[in-house]
Amino acid sequence: MHIAEGFLPPLHAAAWTVAAAPFVVHGARAVVRERRERPETTLLLAAAGAFTFVLSAIKLPSVTGSSSHPTGTGLGATLFRPPVMAFLSTVVLLFQALLLAHGGLTTLGANVFSMGVVGPWAGYAAWRLLCGRHRGLAIFTAFALADLATYCTTSVQLGLAFPDPVSGIAGGVVKFLGVFALTQVPLAVVEGLLGVLVLRLLADVAGPELARLGIVPTTPPSEAVTR
Amino acid sequence: MSRSLALDTAAWSSPWRHRSVADKAVLTLALLATTLLLPVWPTAALSAAAALIVLLGPARLAPTVLARSLRSPLLFIVLGAASVLVSVSWHDGPRVAITAQTSTQALTVLGRGVAGTLCVFVLAATTPMVDLLAGLRRARVPEACVEVASLVYRLLFVLLDTTRRIREAQAARLGLRDRRTTLRSAGTLSGTLLVRAWGRARRLEEGLAGRGYTGALPSLDPPGRVSIGFLGATVALVGVIVVVSLLGAGPR
Repeated sequence: MHIAEGFLPPLHAAAWTVAAAPFVVHGARAVVRERRERPETTLLLAAAGAFTFVLSAIKLPSVTGSSSHPTGTGLGATLFRPPVMAFLSTVVLLFQALLLAHGGLTTLGANVFSMGVVGPWAGYAAWRLLCGRHRGLAIFTAFALADLATYCTTSVQLGLAFPDPVSGIAGGVVKFLGVFALTQVPLAVVEGLLGVLVLRLLADVAGPELARLGIVPTTPPSEAVTR
Repeated sequence: MSRSLALDTAAWSSPWRHRSVADKAVLTLALLATTLLLPVWPTAALSAAAALIVLLGPARLAPTVLARSLRSPLLFIVLGAASVLVSVSWHDGPRVAITAQTSTQALTVLGRGVAGTLCVFVLAATTPMVDLLAGLRRARVPEACVEVASLVYRLLFVLLDTTRRIREAQAARLGLRDRRTTLRSAGTLSGTLLVRAWGRARRLEEGLAGRGYTGALPSLDPPGRVSIGFLGATVALVGVIVVVSLLGAGPR
């Protein structure tokens, strides 16, 4: 759910751009530092960005009978951490705006704030809180919450821009939450389930990579030898 | 999958492909600024008409590509405008109403949304992403960030093709027959895609390391000469829109 071009009033578009800027600059600095120290990671980061973009081409069944696509926010935040996601989301959202006409240029800041900042941090917080107790539940919650947080933030952004004449900002937010709930709430649940399936598959075929990223515990050397 | 990147394909074959990025960016941003900053009517209609004439005229964008690319943003704009159109209140029970104020606001959103989207298409359908990234490099955006974005773009097509092939294989094996299997197939597809992306990045890294990769993949920049004639035409077009808009200003 990206806010389309021209949808936000200029002041709101500028304010959300200013709000998202520190997170994007922080992420970009991390990328610059990483490239200076380990040039080879540039390619892994690019692979992560391309993967996040391509996720929008994967159709998911929705309970409303239609289909939707995963946002990849939860997956990106869990695997690559939120600061990197702020930068990668900016690149991906810019590409989506210009290659797919999803989102826009003046609304890029607002979309980055919801999908590249709030979503990843909400998902990552849920992951950190729950991963020590139940890994499957942690993955489901992280993915679903990242999606829901993105959708709620977008609704707040729209509610602030277009408050209801009678019930004010609260009414505006409730209206947008209600209209987009039809697709976004089922999508969050489906993306949570998808996350469990993806990480289960990755644990089977890419265990060392997940261990290096800290998603699954590293296998002790003695156990590896016994196997 | 090239259908889904139809705007990019159109940009590569556009007659404006070799125009300076600065020329096209100025035209797009000037039209966008006019659309957003001036009174919505008749500005939105004029900007949308100007963008349409540019796209279907000198930029020679196929009408079918334009219509297909507009579908997704239009859905969001219409749904958003419908939400603005309706006013809700909770005093004495939930009430829904449509007022003159909400109708005006919904029309504003609709007009600016459609016009703004068409203005962005002027840049998107005439400028391939590599030219834009070269422009960002010239604008002194940090080299590392532009490099990551360039590599994302290069990897996109391989991954989109892989997605299509896996999807076709899953469909041929009845992997999309109901919701349960479709979800399981989507999970397998996402996981496989990530592993393939990692694998490709690693192989690319090894290949480049053997060729002395230091973190930069320089390529020839597209022509960067700004056309005074083009900029003059842009100023004239936007000037006409501004004058007509201010003379016939409707609600802001």
